[in-house]
Amino acid sequence: MSIVLSAVQYLGYVLIFPGFLFCFLAGLLLCGIDRKMVAKMQKRVGPPVLQPFYDFFKLCGKETIVPAAASSKTVFLMAPLVGLAALVVLQLFIPIFQFTAFSGMADIIVILYLLLIPALATILGGAASGSPYAGVGLSREMVTIISCELPLVLILLAVGKVVGSASGTGLTFSFSAIMAYQAEHGSLILKASMIPAAVAMLMVIPGETGNHPFDAAEAETEICEGLLAEYSGPPLGVYKLSHAIKMLTLTSLFVALFLGGIGSGIEKLVLLCGLSGAAAGAVTVILGAIVLFLLCVVLTVVCISFAHAVTARLKIEQIFKFYWTAVSGLALISLVLAWYGL
Amino acid sequence: MSTALYQHFPIFAIMALFLGAFLIVLFGNIKPLRHAIALLAVTASLGFLIALVKPVMLNGEIIAYWMGARAPAGGYAIGIALEVDALSLFFGLLIATAVFVSCVYSIQYMRHDDNVSQYYTLFLMLAGGVMGLVLSGDLFNMFIMVEILTFAAVALTAFRNTVNGALEAAFKYLVVGCMGSTCILAGTIMLYAQAHTLNFAQLSAFIPGNMNTATVVAFALLYIGFSTKAFIVPFHPLAADAHGAAPASISVLISGVLTKSGIYGIIRLSYFLFQTMELGTMQFLLVFMGSVSMFVCVTMALAQHDFKRLLAFHSISQIGYVLTAVGLCTAMGISSGLYHAMNHTLFKGLLFLAAGAVLHETGTTDLGKLGGLSKKMPWTTALFLVGAFSISGIPPFNGFASKWMVYQSIYQKAVESGNIGFLFVTIIALVTSVLTLASFVKVSQSVFFGQLPKEYENVKEVPWGMRLAMGLFAVLCIVTGLFPNAVTTYLTQPAAAAVFNVANYINAMMGSGYAESVMGAAAPAAQAVTFVEVGVWQPVSWLLILIIALLAITIVAIAGQYDRVSEKAPAPAPVDGKYDLFFGGEQSVYSQVGGEDLFWGFKHNWRGYFSFMHELHSGIVNDYALWAVVALALTTLYMLIVF
Repeated sequence: MSIVLSAVQYLGYVLIFPGFLFCFLAGLLLCGIDRKMVAKMQKRVGPPVLQPFYDFFKLCGKETIVPAAASSKTVFLMAPLVGLAALVVLQLFIPIFQFTAFSGMADIIVILYLLLIPALATILGGAASGSPYAGVGLSREMVTIISCELPLVLILLAVGKVVGSASGTGLTFSFSAIMAYQAEHGSLILKASMIPAAVAMLMVIPGETGNHPFDAAEAETEICEGLLAEYSGPPLGVYKLSHAIKMLTLTSLFVALFLGGIGSGIEKLVLLCGLSGAAAGAVTVILGAIVLFLLCVVLTVVCISFAHAVTARLKIEQIFKFYWTAVSGLALISLVLAWYGL
Repeated sequence: MSTALYQHFPIFAIMALFLGAFLIVLFGNIKPLRHAIALLAVTASLGFLIALVKPVMLNGEIIAYWMGARAPAGGYAIGIALEVDALSLFFGLLIATAVFVSCVYSIQYMRHDDNVSQYYTLFLMLAGGVMGLVLSGDLFNMFIMVEILTFAAVALTAFRNTVNGALEAAFKYLVVGCMGSTCILAGTIMLYAQAHTLNFAQLSAFIPGNMNTATVVAFALLYIGFSTKAFIVPFHPLAADAHGAAPASISVLISGVLTKSGIYGIIRLSYFLFQTMELGTMQFLLVFMGSVSMFVCVTMALAQHDFKRLLAFHSISQIGYVLTAVGLCTAMGISSGLYHAMNHTLFKGLLFLAAGAVLHETGTTDLGKLGGLSKKMPWTTALFLVGAFSISGIPPFNGFASKWMVYQSIYQKAVESGNIGFLFVTIIALVTSVLTLASFVKVSQSVFFGQLPKEYENVKEVPWGMRLAMGLFAVLCIVTGLFPNAVTTYLTQPAAAAVFNVANYINAMMGSGYAESVMGAAAPAAQAVTFVEVGVWQPVSWLLILIIALLAITIVAIAGQYDRVSEKAPAPAPVDGKYDLFFGGEQSVYSQVGGEDLFWGFKHNWRGYFSFMHELHSGIVNDYALWAVVALALTTLYMLIVF
């Protein structure tokens, strides 16, 4: 009986919360807010907030065209699905404050590599289409990944060192230790030595999601969306959905790494309301999810919408240079400070 | 001392290979017999070693085998000895597996070549040489095996001597390989002059307490000798040439087997013979050479436009990971290094076989000329992708499991020692991994995806025997990635324990109490090889969740008519261009983006570095020989200063 119950519970995690359904709703909503905010910043009216939902469902109703020159139809059609599934699973491992759907299964270094899978799926799908635009797009996408990887590595190593030296093991990569540390010592962003890393992470987010000004890989006006040039109908809709979820994933990763201390505030609030037992747990999780989503919205507006509104697209070699000098420099400052125990 | 039957197995494993080589010389003209002998020899060799897993790996026995039962007399080991501890067996198993799969592949891969019986003779000589090297218990036999394997490898490199550059590659390999072998011989002689013995166990007991200038120079010579076998920087250009020219089945042996013998030699030297790994300076040497190999070779690979040369550079880059991890001198470091060595044999073998499949069908490995082959060779493409994901460390394949442990061990070492240098090694290791991924994205796009050139319209899938060989490697790649705990418990931890248990190694050979009597209290006793992982990774559960999510999404997608089309694409080109590629309204033409054209943004920023590297790698053998001499001089100098 208990096996069935836990199976149902885990299935619920994967399919509903914090898995597929939550990602779908929150991600597309985040995307809509982003578009609206960019429009507001540029003094346009902008689309309705629910526009990404309309777009998605409309694309789902359209025909799928597989180009005759596609080198592999299977890869072309399956790549979007694999990318989406990998992204949803990734979201399951990122803690929502004290709550993690599947704890003790993947650490932050694993997350670094799991983040590559959706990007890789996009690359292989585009490559399989045979389009020369996709060829250019995949080249740029890969360079963008390389660009973001170095700062991201530095940030994660810095976080691992700070949390590890406080817990006595000297080093840790596990999410639960990071959340426990933040519950006890307050959010990592409050630590002076971690502020450069947090700023660097804010700059990495638009690069990882492929938003302005780091969207050389998709550049609609130049290489016709690159990797997506040949995609149409439902596969394209799945890609748009993945892109929206990726915004959610990266912003919630930021929250988990740097703002985890807010979780203890939520717990205190629940205690103040006089709740206890299972009810308190459920309310904490729901409140946590709401707070997480609001924080994701703020972060999206700050690092994606604002950057989108005020910048023009960078060339690919400029993106690389920016990440490996300015952003990596910031992250390196944090890492060195963390190394010397600050 | 009772001799159980399995005590004879190590010599059988070596003999099977050499015997097979001689039998093929005799009966090689009969085609079915030739294949039967070769397969039988490699299967027997693998079987003997698998039979040793239980006593050596699980029960921790060390097999000391004296040829002709000439046990040491009067305190000196004169006879020829084999000594198999968990470390030797670990490498032996890797070698036997790679040789077996490569042999299966060769049957159909080599069928269009001339002189196939000579090929199998040399193939088995090479395999036997490496096998003898890792199972040998004395230094001089190691040298003999090094000679056998070097000459077999040189001959096999030039086996297809009509291929452009094959003879040149073999010549380069011959020159620098012989310099390496000579170094090993010179080192062996100097040690013999000092210790009056060639037996490994006895040397290991004698040398650490009696280090003098001569032994230090011998150490430097041996170290450089084995470095040339492992192709670590500065010997990496040879590997690129050799792999580019050799048949793919031989590339598997050169990268998966021969380089391992070099790593094995370095471990034996530094942990057993000289026992210097406790010193920070020695750790520095190995970790530094490892990181340099890792980084230089991955960037060199990015600049390649030939499939097999690219793989060759990656091979050394991965060996860099192994050397770095081994050089940390921590239980986790050695364990993860050996794990990565194993994975390297598996995924690199798979990738070379895939390159061989492409060469077999299309006749070229030039990334600029190929494209779109996944349409014609779907199996090869799928198997190549498994290998590519493994080497780039994409979860849940094996490369990720071992690299993840390597990162942890380096970073842990950094934190424990407080040495900021290790921190940068961690960063280099992590960045190298993503550059590896970039390189394999390039290969996927240039060879398997993108557009199919006209001249390859009639390319077919490779025969089943070659697919079977690749499939074996692919399955092993996935299995060792999904069950990292089983691999560490049953394979790498016993081997790591053996590395830290020098006293046992000596005593098993020379009789119990020998190590203590010669070395006194300094004899390194058994150390626990337990380690704490600082992160968590459960590949099986992750895969399970991914499959559930993927199934759910796929079911929804199929129910929603995901690939719905209003009409089937007609066989001749449709008039309206609906199924054509989008060309901005222009006529659609063949246009493949691949090879050199990719990753411009990255290469542009590093153009100074790349042009420097381009000038450095002149391709002239005199330069490479000079590098070898300089490396030897610098290493000798370094060792004389630090010891």
